[in-house]
Amino acid sequence: MKSVTRALSLCLLLVAFAAPRAASAQTFDVQTHTLKNGMKILVQRDPDIPNVALYIFYRIGSRNERPGTTGLSHFFEHMMFNGAKKYGPGQFDKVMEGAGGSNNAYTSTDVTVYQDWFPRNQLDLIFDLEADRIQHLAFDPKIIESERGVVASERRTSVEADNAGLLWEQLWATAYTAHPYQWPVVGWMVDIEGWKMEDLQNHFRAGYSPSNATMVVVGDVQPAEIFALAQKYIEPIPSHDPPAKVTTKEPEQLGERRVEVRKFAQLPMLMFGYHVPETAHPDYYALKVLQTILFSGQSSRMYQRLVDKDQLALSVRADYDFAFDPTLFVVTAQPKEGIATGAVERAVFEELDRTKKELVTEQELEKAKNILLANFYRQIKTINGRADQIGSYEVFFGDYRKLFNAAEDFRKVTRDDVRRVAQKYFADKNRTVATLVPEREATPQEAGSR
Amino acid sequence: MLKRTFIFSLAFLLACIAPATVARAQGAAALKLPAYKKVRLKNGLTLLLMEQHEVPIISFNFIVKAGSVADPAGKEGVASLTAGLLRKGTKTRTADQIANELDFVGGTLGAFATFDYTQGTAEFVRKDIAKGLELLSDVLLNPTFPQAETTKMQAQRVDAVKAAKDEASGVIGTYYNAYLFGSHPYGRPTEGDEKTIAAITREDVAKFYQTYYTPSNTILAVAGDFQTAEMERMLTERFGAWPDKTAPAITLTEAAPVQGKRLLLIDKPDSTQTFYRIGNIGIPRTSADRVQIEVVNTLFGGRFTSMLNSALRINTGLTYGARSAFDQRRLRGPFFINTYTRNETTGQAIDMTLDILKRLHEKGITEEELKSAKSYLKGQFPPRIETTDQLAALIAQLEFFGLDERDINTYYARIDAMTLDDARRVIKQYFPAENLVFVLIGKASEIEPVIRKYAPNVEKKSITQVGF
Repeated sequence: MKSVTRALSLCLLLVAFAAPRAASAQTFDVQTHTLKNGMKILVQRDPDIPNVALYIFYRIGSRNERPGTTGLSHFFEHMMFNGAKKYGPGQFDKVMEGAGGSNNAYTSTDVTVYQDWFPRNQLDLIFDLEADRIQHLAFDPKIIESERGVVASERRTSVEADNAGLLWEQLWATAYTAHPYQWPVVGWMVDIEGWKMEDLQNHFRAGYSPSNATMVVVGDVQPAEIFALAQKYIEPIPSHDPPAKVTTKEPEQLGERRVEVRKFAQLPMLMFGYHVPETAHPDYYALKVLQTILFSGQSSRMYQRLVDKDQLALSVRADYDFAFDPTLFVVTAQPKEGIATGAVERAVFEELDRTKKELVTEQELEKAKNILLANFYRQIKTINGRADQIGSYEVFFGDYRKLFNAAEDFRKVTRDDVRRVAQKYFADKNRTVATLVPEREATPQEAGSR
Repeated sequence: MLKRTFIFSLAFLLACIAPATVARAQGAAALKLPAYKKVRLKNGLTLLLMEQHEVPIISFNFIVKAGSVADPAGKEGVASLTAGLLRKGTKTRTADQIANELDFVGGTLGAFATFDYTQGTAEFVRKDIAKGLELLSDVLLNPTFPQAETTKMQAQRVDAVKAAKDEASGVIGTYYNAYLFGSHPYGRPTEGDEKTIAAITREDVAKFYQTYYTPSNTILAVAGDFQTAEMERMLTERFGAWPDKTAPAITLTEAAPVQGKRLLLIDKPDSTQTFYRIGNIGIPRTSADRVQIEVVNTLFGGRFTSMLNSALRINTGLTYGARSAFDQRRLRGPFFINTYTRNETTGQAIDMTLDILKRLHEKGITEEELKSAKSYLKGQFPPRIETTDQLAALIAQLEFFGLDERDINTYYARIDAMTLDDARRVIKQYFPAENLVFVLIGKASEIEPVIRKYAPNVEKKSITQVGF
């Protein structure tokens, strides 16, 4: 055995951000091992409950797709539950649930993640199930057709029957002209209807090499037993070339873009997208602090202005998610009835402009750091949350140990940093605005009640 | 983003928030709720204290024993609005001050109404516990319900109802409740509707608070990183002087199951899918048969490989997810099957749903299925009592329902003891067969001809019509 086991004992010292406050400490030992086929395994022992969370992160998502087969990563994720060699159609779920386990999976623009949650005495079985599907996934035409219907229903629910989902899709399709973030993770309906068997097989070959995956196990386990199981079940699976590199870079946006969606609805909706860098970029931390100051809690600037003082919106929020490539910082506002979307827009822009002109206060900065610390605790308080965080940091920051530095990385952010990133990224010409305009077919009942 | 599966309510909506914790003696075989102390203060306030030292966080959960069933008729939403306004101004703090002080320490604090009670949650990092307790006690003991904040929140909530109706999956439960329970208080929209929210006055809110928010009508649970004696002292200091008065008892009668078949169609003309619920009146939280019902429902519609999801999703691709649940309240709550399918397959999916229900009654479950469901429920239970917020909510709810740790500590044994005879009995007794209520949201012009066959009459509403 040539494989190397590296044990790292890391003490996560979360010294409270504000110096005079008492320090809190969390220990958090992660041990790692890389299999000969290239799959890296990260294990954190937590015997608090007799359960285990096992996550496998594959570095493949909708950014690895192309026009004509958009949504294929997500469809493939579904197919991973539909039968392999030892465990045939329906068996993966049936066997796992019968053993007290459950599972799920998600696909993003960048990764496909498989999640198993089970009692600790079922480790052997879970490894057997995972190894079977990673190595011997079956492609049955009848099952593909049935699953196509499931994914179409998912799209109808999450996009067609959800105004936020629909607007989100149009925002990204408008903000990106070259890079694959322009198409939705779930895929365009016409592509969902059109995938062929060989598209799936090609996808499997491209993305599902063990060397393209990272496994995270958190729970009532010993790292050595996990490494032994991985050697037995996963190591014999040969690796091959990873997916082709995504080389397209989105060109700089040269002016504001606007897109409108008209549909039956009672209330309008607004989204604003600004191009911002990828997760591993040094500006990530200052942008997260800025996001917190503007959007987190009822004392945040945007809530105070739009929801509380001017009473223009029911809610306002921002999303800035993990991504391998430069992504969008998205602001979503739900205007109140009878409020012109233009008024909401102006208020959002004014608040963003204020962060470009004036430094945020010391008090706001400290508050943001306290919120980020408390959120951090909340994210790691379950074995599931910890598996997700360890895996996400390993994949998106390139090193899970960045998770332990997050507190320090946020602490370093200054008021000047916050203003600098606001000026750099919240420029008018870097902006895309998506507006949902309600159209209503009046009905007799409705006319009577209004 | 884009999960493969829908979220199971783990068989039971309310129960989910609840159940147990984990002492690990012999692996998963032993299940024991961590010890907690129960104290009744002189003014009648019940305190529940559970130490959990894994993460430096302290979670609070309080229950005031009055929910939307106590709303005055025509002013549905009072309990909910009262809960929402707690943090919008006190004798010594404005809403802004509360928000600022709370956010500064990264804390959370909020309250909402359910049908039977009002529930509040708060969470603080250990080092900030003094500030946290100051804020929690202030909003609970000294709220002033300022007129301007009340008016503002009412306007927001009226619009929130309209926004919610733009997404069928978010409101199907409210329509279903209203239609199933009719004039029974369990049929009310907990948050109110466009009209009733607007009808509420500041005085209604103040009166609701004065009437029901009393120490002997309140349970305060705390779980987390503290020493019990010290926490008890701090809580007594903060809440011991809260003057008591007797809150009126809320009398409710059990809802009677609907006889025959009834169907409501809500027209949403832009729908590409039909969202529907089918069911009848179910069980209360304290049902002696709860565990056996949970086991059967796991197989029927409570997990991914359930009969419903296998038929409607796995084998046919008609939907992204199909499930069933018993929503358990103080008295009998709703039982429902929930799914959605595209307009053209609406009839096919409903036929199949009814067929699965019929097969449950005719064929029951097998020994092998029973064994699988038992393993599943036991294996999935520990993560539901993993965190301090889960544990605080659980012990507060057990107390509200007149239960205690035995409900958790005997859970595995009750699952193990269940037989096929038990299954036959609970299927017959609790799963509806011929008497069914149907509520559908969809494009009426396309689906109405197909769905007429399910009930003698089709009642109709428009999604834009006020109310539920």
